[in-house]
Amino acid sequence: MITLNVNGKPHQLDINPEMPLLWALRDKLNLTGTKYGCGHGMCGACVVHIDGEAARSCSIMAGEAAGKKITTIEGVSGKVAEAVIGAWQRLNVVQCGYCQCGQIMSAIVLLSANKKPTDEDITLGMDGNICRCGTYVRIRRAIHEAAKALA
Amino acid sequence: MAETSVRSATLMAVGLTLAFALMPETAGTGPTSAQSTRQAESLAAWQEIATVLQHPRCLNCHQKDSPLQGDMRRPHIPHVVRGTDGHGVSAMRCGNCHNQMGNNPTSRTPGAPHWALAPASMLWQGLSSGELCRQLKDPARNGNRSPQALIEHMETDPLVGWGWNPGAGLEPVPVARKEFVEHMRAWVAGGTPCPK
Repeated sequence: MITLNVNGKPHQLDINPEMPLLWALRDKLNLTGTKYGCGHGMCGACVVHIDGEAARSCSIMAGEAAGKKITTIEGVSGKVAEAVIGAWQRLNVVQCGYCQCGQIMSAIVLLSANKKPTDEDITLGMDGNICRCGTYVRIRRAIHEAAKALA
Repeated sequence: MAETSVRSATLMAVGLTLAFALMPETAGTGPTSAQSTRQAESLAAWQEIATVLQHPRCLNCHQKDSPLQGDMRRPHIPHVVRGTDGHGVSAMRCGNCHNQMGNNPTSRTPGAPHWALAPASMLWQGLSSGELCRQLKDPARNGNRSPQALIEHMETDPLVGWGWNPGAGLEPVPVARKEFVEHMRAWVAGGTPCPK
Protein backbone atom coordinates (compact mmCIF):
# COMPACT_ATOMS: atom_id res chain seq x y z
CA MET A 1 0.00 0.00 0.00
CA ILE A 2 1.35 3.41 -0.99
CA THR A 3 -0.01 6.61 0.52
CA LEU A 4 0.15 9.57 -1.82
CA ASN A 5 -0.62 13.02 -0.46
CA VAL A 6 -2.08 14.84 -3.47
CA ASN A 7 -3.38 18.41 -3.38
CA GLY A 8 -3.68 18.22 0.40
CA LYS A 9 -5.49 14.87 0.59
CA PRO A 10 -3.98 11.49 1.43
CA HIS A 11 -4.84 8.57 -0.84
CA GLN A 12 -4.08 4.94 -0.06
CA LEU A 13 -3.35 3.04 -3.24
CA ASP A 14 -2.67 -0.65 -3.73
CA ILE A 15 -0.04 -0.17 -6.40
CA ASN A 16 3.48 -1.25 -7.24
CA PRO A 17 5.92 1.31 -5.76
CA GLU A 18 7.65 1.41 -9.16
CA MET A 19 4.49 2.65 -10.91
CA PRO A 20 5.12 6.04 -12.52
CA LEU A 21 3.44 8.69 -10.39
CA LEU A 22 1.74 9.94 -13.59
CA TRP A 23 -0.19 6.68 -13.93
CA ALA A 24 -1.29 6.80 -10.31
CA LEU A 25 -2.48 10.40 -10.71
CA ARG A 26 -4.34 9.87 -13.96
CA ASP A 27 -5.61 6.28 -13.73
CA LYS A 28 -6.14 5.84 -10.00
CA LEU A 29 -7.05 9.36 -8.89
CA ASN A 30 -8.66 10.69 -12.09
CA LEU A 31 -6.47 13.78 -12.04
CA THR A 32 -6.08 14.07 -15.79
CA GLY A 33 -4.74 17.63 -15.97
CA THR A 34 -1.23 16.18 -15.91
CA LYS A 35 -0.43 14.78 -19.34
CA TYR A 36 1.49 11.85 -20.79
CA GLY A 37 3.72 13.20 -23.58
CA CYS A 38 6.74 10.95 -23.93
CA GLY A 39 6.98 8.76 -20.86
CA HIS A 40 10.73 9.38 -20.62
CA GLY A 41 11.07 12.67 -18.78
CA MET A 42 12.00 14.53 -21.96
CA CYS A 43 8.95 16.63 -22.85
CA GLY A 44 7.69 18.09 -19.57
CA ALA A 45 3.96 17.53 -20.16
CA CYS A 46 3.86 15.51 -16.93
CA VAL A 47 5.39 18.07 -14.56
CA VAL A 48 3.84 18.23 -11.08
CA HIS A 49 5.24 19.59 -7.81
CA ILE A 50 6.69 17.40 -5.08
CA ASP A 51 7.51 19.35 -1.90
CA GLY A 52 7.54 22.51 -4.00
CA GLU A 53 10.04 21.25 -6.56
CA ALA A 54 9.21 20.34 -10.14
CA ALA A 55 8.87 16.61 -10.72
CA ARG A 56 8.40 14.73 -13.98
CA SER A 57 5.69 12.33 -12.90
CA CYS A 58 6.30 9.90 -15.76
CA SER A 59 9.79 9.39 -14.38
CA ILE A 60 9.24 9.71 -10.62
CA MET A 61 7.93 6.46 -9.14
CA ALA A 62 5.00 6.32 -6.73
CA GLY A 63 7.28 4.92 -4.03
CA GLU A 64 9.62 7.87 -4.44
CA ALA A 65 6.70 10.32 -4.01
CA ALA A 66 5.12 8.53 -1.05
CA GLY A 67 5.00 10.61 2.11
CA LYS A 68 5.73 13.84 0.23
CA LYS A 69 3.49 16.77 -0.68
CA ILE A 70 2.32 16.32 -4.26
CA THR A 71 0.59 19.17 -6.10
CA THR A 72 -0.95 18.83 -9.55
CA ILE A 73 -2.26 21.53 -11.90
CA GLU A 74 -5.70 20.97 -10.38
CA GLY A 75 -4.47 21.93 -6.91
CA VAL A 76 -1.85 24.58 -7.50
CA SER A 77 -2.38 27.86 -5.63
CA GLY A 78 -0.67 30.90 -4.18
CA LYS A 79 0.67 34.25 -5.41
CA VAL A 80 3.10 32.81 -7.93
CA ALA A 81 0.53 30.42 -9.40
CA GLU A 82 -1.99 33.27 -9.71
CA ALA A 83 0.56 35.49 -11.42
CA VAL A 84 1.56 32.76 -13.88
CA ILE A 85 -1.98 31.68 -14.73
CA GLY A 86 -3.07 35.32 -14.99
CA ALA A 87 -0.25 36.11 -17.43
CA TRP A 88 -0.99 32.97 -19.42
CA GLN A 89 -4.61 34.07 -19.79
CA ARG A 90 -3.88 37.73 -20.58
CA LEU A 91 -1.33 36.84 -23.25
CA ASN A 92 -3.41 34.00 -24.68
CA VAL A 93 -0.40 31.70 -24.50
CA VAL A 94 -2.24 28.43 -25.05
CA GLN A 95 -2.75 26.90 -28.50
CA CYS A 96 -3.65 23.22 -28.41
CA GLY A 97 -3.00 23.19 -24.69
CA TYR A 98 -1.43 19.74 -24.38
CA CYS A 99 1.92 20.91 -23.01
CA GLN A 100 0.60 23.85 -21.08
CA CYS A 101 -0.12 22.32 -17.69
CA GLY A 102 3.49 21.18 -17.59
CA GLN A 103 4.67 24.59 -18.82
CA ILE A 104 2.70 26.35 -16.08
CA MET A 105 3.92 23.98 -13.36
CA SER A 106 7.55 24.52 -14.44
CA ALA A 107 7.08 28.28 -14.68
CA ILE A 108 5.70 28.38 -11.12
CA VAL A 109 8.80 26.62 -9.81
CA LEU A 110 11.06 28.91 -11.83
CA LEU A 111 9.42 32.08 -10.49
CA SER A 112 9.14 30.78 -6.94
CA ALA A 113 12.93 30.45 -6.81
CA ASN A 114 13.73 33.50 -8.92
CA LYS A 115 11.37 36.47 -8.98
CA LYS A 116 13.31 38.28 -11.72
CA PRO A 117 14.51 35.67 -14.17
CA THR A 118 16.67 36.68 -17.08
CA ASP A 119 16.09 35.26 -20.53
CA GLU A 120 18.87 32.78 -19.84
CA ASP A 121 17.26 31.73 -16.55
CA ILE A 122 14.00 31.15 -18.42
CA THR A 123 15.75 29.12 -21.13
CA LEU A 124 17.58 26.93 -18.62
CA GLY A 125 14.54 26.49 -16.40
CA MET A 126 12.04 25.80 -19.16
CA ASP A 127 14.32 23.93 -21.58
CA GLY A 128 12.70 20.62 -20.76
CA ASN A 129 9.16 21.73 -21.60
CA ILE A 130 8.51 21.11 -25.26
CA CYS A 131 5.66 22.73 -27.23
CA ARG A 132 4.78 21.32 -30.65
CA CYS A 133 2.66 24.37 -31.41
CA GLY A 134 5.72 26.54 -30.86
CA THR A 135 4.32 29.06 -28.37
CA TYR A 136 7.75 29.51 -26.82
CA VAL A 137 7.83 33.25 -27.50
CA ARG A 138 4.54 33.75 -25.66
CA ILE A 139 5.59 31.48 -22.82
CA ARG A 140 8.74 33.54 -22.33
CA ARG A 141 6.78 36.80 -22.50
CA ALA A 142 4.21 35.48 -20.02
CA ILE A 143 6.93 34.52 -17.55
CA HIS A 144 8.35 38.05 -17.74
CA GLU A 145 4.80 39.41 -17.28
CA ALA A 146 4.21 37.22 -14.25
CA ALA A 147 7.55 38.36 -12.81
CA LYS A 148 6.44 42.00 -13.21
CA ALA A 149 3.17 41.22 -11.42
CA LEU A 150 5.09 39.62 -8.56
CA ALA A 151 7.54 42.52 -8.19
CA MET B 1 94.24 8.56 25.82
CA ALA B 2 94.83 10.66 22.74
CA GLU B 3 96.45 7.69 21.05
CA THR B 4 93.37 5.52 21.76
CA SER B 5 91.04 8.19 20.38
CA VAL B 6 93.02 8.52 17.19
CA ARG B 7 93.11 4.73 16.77
CA SER B 8 89.34 4.48 17.40
CA ALA B 9 88.63 7.23 14.95
CA THR B 10 90.80 5.59 12.32
CA LEU B 11 89.21 2.22 12.86
CA MET B 12 85.77 3.82 12.57
CA ALA B 13 86.75 5.58 9.36
CA VAL B 14 88.09 2.38 7.82
CA GLY B 15 85.05 0.45 8.96
CA LEU B 16 82.63 2.95 7.54
CA THR B 17 84.49 3.09 4.24
CA LEU B 18 84.38 -0.68 3.95
CA ALA B 19 80.71 -0.70 4.86
CA PHE B 20 79.86 1.82 2.15
CA ALA B 21 82.01 -0.02 -0.36
CA LEU B 22 80.28 -3.31 0.35
CA MET B 23 76.73 -1.93 0.51
CA PRO B 24 74.27 -3.29 -2.08
CA GLU B 25 74.38 -1.26 -5.29
CA THR B 26 70.69 -0.44 -4.99
CA ALA B 27 70.61 1.34 -1.65
CA GLY B 28 69.87 5.00 -2.28
CA THR B 29 70.55 4.66 -6.01
CA GLY B 30 67.44 2.89 -7.45
CA PRO B 31 64.74 0.24 -6.86
CA THR B 32 65.38 -3.37 -6.04
CA SER B 33 63.91 -5.91 -8.40
CA ALA B 34 61.18 -6.58 -5.83
CA GLN B 35 60.32 -2.90 -5.70
CA SER B 36 60.28 -2.74 -9.52
CA THR B 37 57.84 -5.63 -9.68
CA ARG B 38 55.52 -4.05 -7.13
CA GLN B 39 55.66 -0.75 -9.01
CA ALA B 40 54.82 -2.47 -12.29
CA GLU B 41 51.94 -4.36 -10.71
CA SER B 42 50.65 -1.18 -9.14
CA LEU B 43 50.81 0.66 -12.47
CA ALA B 44 49.04 -2.25 -14.16
CA ALA B 45 46.34 -2.01 -11.49
CA TRP B 46 46.02 1.71 -12.30
CA GLN B 47 45.37 0.92 -15.98
CA GLU B 48 42.44 -1.26 -14.92
CA ILE B 49 41.18 1.48 -12.60
CA ALA B 50 41.40 4.03 -15.42
CA THR B 51 39.21 1.90 -17.73
CA VAL B 52 36.51 2.02 -15.05
CA LEU B 53 36.78 5.74 -14.34
CA GLN B 54 36.74 6.58 -18.06
CA HIS B 55 33.72 4.36 -18.74
CA PRO B 56 30.48 6.29 -19.53
CA ARG B 57 28.88 5.14 -16.26
CA CYS B 58 31.44 7.25 -14.39
CA LEU B 59 32.69 9.83 -16.85
CA ASN B 60 29.21 10.98 -17.93
CA CYS B 61 28.80 12.79 -14.61
CA HIS B 62 32.41 13.79 -13.96
CA GLN B 63 31.89 16.74 -16.28
CA LYS B 64 32.32 20.49 -16.03
CA ASP B 65 28.84 21.93 -16.34
CA SER B 66 26.49 19.49 -18.03
CA PRO B 67 26.27 15.69 -17.86
CA LEU B 68 26.61 13.33 -20.79
CA GLN B 69 24.05 10.62 -21.40
CA GLY B 70 24.07 7.00 -22.48
CA ASP B 71 26.74 4.73 -23.85
CA MET B 72 27.07 7.10 -26.79
CA ARG B 73 28.01 9.90 -24.34
CA ARG B 74 25.74 12.45 -26.02
CA PRO B 75 24.79 15.74 -24.35
CA HIS B 76 22.02 15.09 -21.80
CA ILE B 77 18.51 15.43 -23.19
CA PRO B 78 16.78 17.53 -21.96
CA HIS B 79 19.52 20.12 -21.51
CA VAL B 80 20.51 20.40 -17.85
CA VAL B 81 23.30 22.31 -16.13
CA ARG B 82 25.19 22.16 -12.85
CA GLY B 83 23.70 25.19 -11.14
CA THR B 84 25.09 26.45 -7.86
CA ASP B 85 24.93 23.15 -5.98
CA GLY B 86 25.64 20.57 -8.68
CA HIS B 87 22.00 19.45 -8.64
CA GLY B 88 20.63 21.60 -11.48
CA VAL B 89 18.53 24.77 -11.70
CA SER B 90 14.88 25.70 -10.93
CA ALA B 91 12.52 23.32 -12.75
CA MET B 92 15.39 21.22 -14.16
CA ARG B 93 17.00 19.64 -11.11
CA CYS B 94 18.45 16.14 -11.12
CA GLY B 95 15.94 14.82 -8.59
CA ASN B 96 13.06 16.05 -10.73
CA CYS B 97 13.53 12.94 -12.88
CA HIS B 98 16.11 10.69 -11.25
CA ASN B 99 14.71 8.62 -8.38
CA GLN B 100 16.76 8.19 -5.20
CA MET B 101 15.14 4.77 -4.83
CA GLY B 102 16.66 3.42 -8.05
CA ASN B 103 16.18 2.92 -11.78
CA ASN B 104 12.70 3.44 -13.22
CA PRO B 105 12.01 0.43 -15.47
CA THR B 106 9.04 2.14 -17.17
CA SER B 107 10.55 5.48 -18.12
CA ARG B 108 14.05 3.95 -18.28
CA THR B 109 15.38 6.86 -16.24
CA PRO B 110 18.35 5.70 -14.19
CA GLY B 111 18.35 6.49 -10.50
CA ALA B 112 20.43 6.15 -7.33
CA PRO B 113 20.92 7.95 -4.01
CA HIS B 114 22.31 11.53 -4.22
CA TRP B 115 22.12 11.58 -8.04
CA ALA B 116 24.01 14.65 -9.24
CA LEU B 117 27.06 15.80 -11.17
CA ALA B 118 30.33 15.11 -9.39
CA PRO B 119 31.76 18.22 -7.70
CA ALA B 120 33.47 20.61 -10.10
CA SER B 121 36.85 19.77 -8.55
CA MET B 122 36.41 16.20 -9.83
CA LEU B 123 36.23 17.06 -13.51
CA TRP B 124 37.63 14.04 -15.36
CA GLN B 125 36.63 14.78 -18.95
CA GLY B 126 39.63 15.27 -21.23
CA LEU B 127 42.24 13.99 -18.77
CA SER B 128 44.94 11.56 -19.81
CA SER B 129 45.46 8.44 -17.72
CA GLY B 130 48.34 10.09 -15.90
CA GLU B 131 46.43 13.31 -15.26
CA LEU B 132 43.43 11.35 -13.99
CA CYS B 133 45.70 9.35 -11.69
CA ARG B 134 47.28 12.47 -10.18
CA GLN B 135 43.84 14.06 -9.80
CA LEU B 136 42.33 11.04 -8.09
CA LYS B 137 44.95 10.93 -5.35
CA ASP B 138 45.08 14.70 -4.78
CA PRO B 139 43.10 15.49 -1.59
CA ALA B 140 42.37 18.98 -2.95
CA ARG B 141 40.55 17.40 -5.89
CA ASN B 142 39.14 14.17 -4.52
CA GLY B 143 36.92 15.36 -1.70
CA ASN B 144 39.84 15.38 0.75
CA ARG B 145 40.16 11.59 0.65
CA SER B 146 43.10 9.52 1.80
CA PRO B 147 43.98 6.48 -0.34
CA GLN B 148 42.10 4.30 2.14
CA ALA B 149 39.07 6.57 1.97
CA LEU B 150 39.22 6.34 -1.83
CA ILE B 151 39.04 2.56 -1.62
CA GLU B 152 36.09 2.81 0.76
CA HIS B 153 34.31 5.24 -1.55
CA MET B 154 34.70 2.92 -4.54
CA GLU B 155 33.64 -0.07 -2.47
CA THR B 156 30.61 1.28 -0.63
CA ASP B 157 29.15 4.45 -2.15
CA PRO B 158 25.69 3.69 -3.61
CA LEU B 159 25.97 6.17 -6.50
CA VAL B 160 29.32 4.64 -7.45
CA GLY B 161 27.61 1.25 -7.13
CA TRP B 162 24.92 2.29 -9.60
CA GLY B 163 27.59 1.93 -12.32
CA TRP B 164 27.24 -1.84 -12.00
CA ASN B 165 23.43 -1.78 -12.04
CA PRO B 166 22.48 1.00 -14.42
CA GLY B 167 19.21 -0.41 -15.76
CA ALA B 168 18.06 -1.43 -19.23
CA GLY B 169 19.83 0.05 -22.23
CA LEU B 170 23.02 1.03 -20.42
CA GLU B 171 26.22 -0.99 -20.29
CA PRO B 172 27.34 -1.77 -16.72
CA VAL B 173 30.98 -1.07 -15.83
CA PRO B 174 32.82 -3.96 -17.55
CA VAL B 175 35.16 -4.71 -14.62
CA ALA B 176 33.33 -6.35 -11.70
CA ARG B 177 33.15 -4.11 -8.64
CA LYS B 178 34.94 -6.62 -6.41
CA GLU B 179 37.77 -6.86 -8.94
CA PHE B 180 37.89 -3.08 -9.30
CA VAL B 181 38.28 -2.68 -5.54
CA GLU B 182 41.14 -5.20 -5.59
CA HIS B 183 42.85 -3.13 -8.28
CA MET B 184 42.37 -0.07 -6.04
CA ARG B 185 44.02 -1.93 -3.15
CA ALA B 186 46.93 -3.01 -5.35
CA TRP B 187 47.39 0.53 -6.62
CA VAL B 188 47.36 1.94 -3.09
CA ALA B 189 49.66 -0.80 -1.77
CA GLY B 190 52.19 0.14 -4.43
CA GLY B 191 52.15 3.77 -3.35
CA THR B 192 49.60 5.03 -5.94
CA PRO B 193 52.06 5.39 -8.81
CA CYS B 194 50.93 7.26 -11.91
CA PRO B 195 51.90 6.92 -15.56
CA LYS B 196 53.45 10.01 -17.10
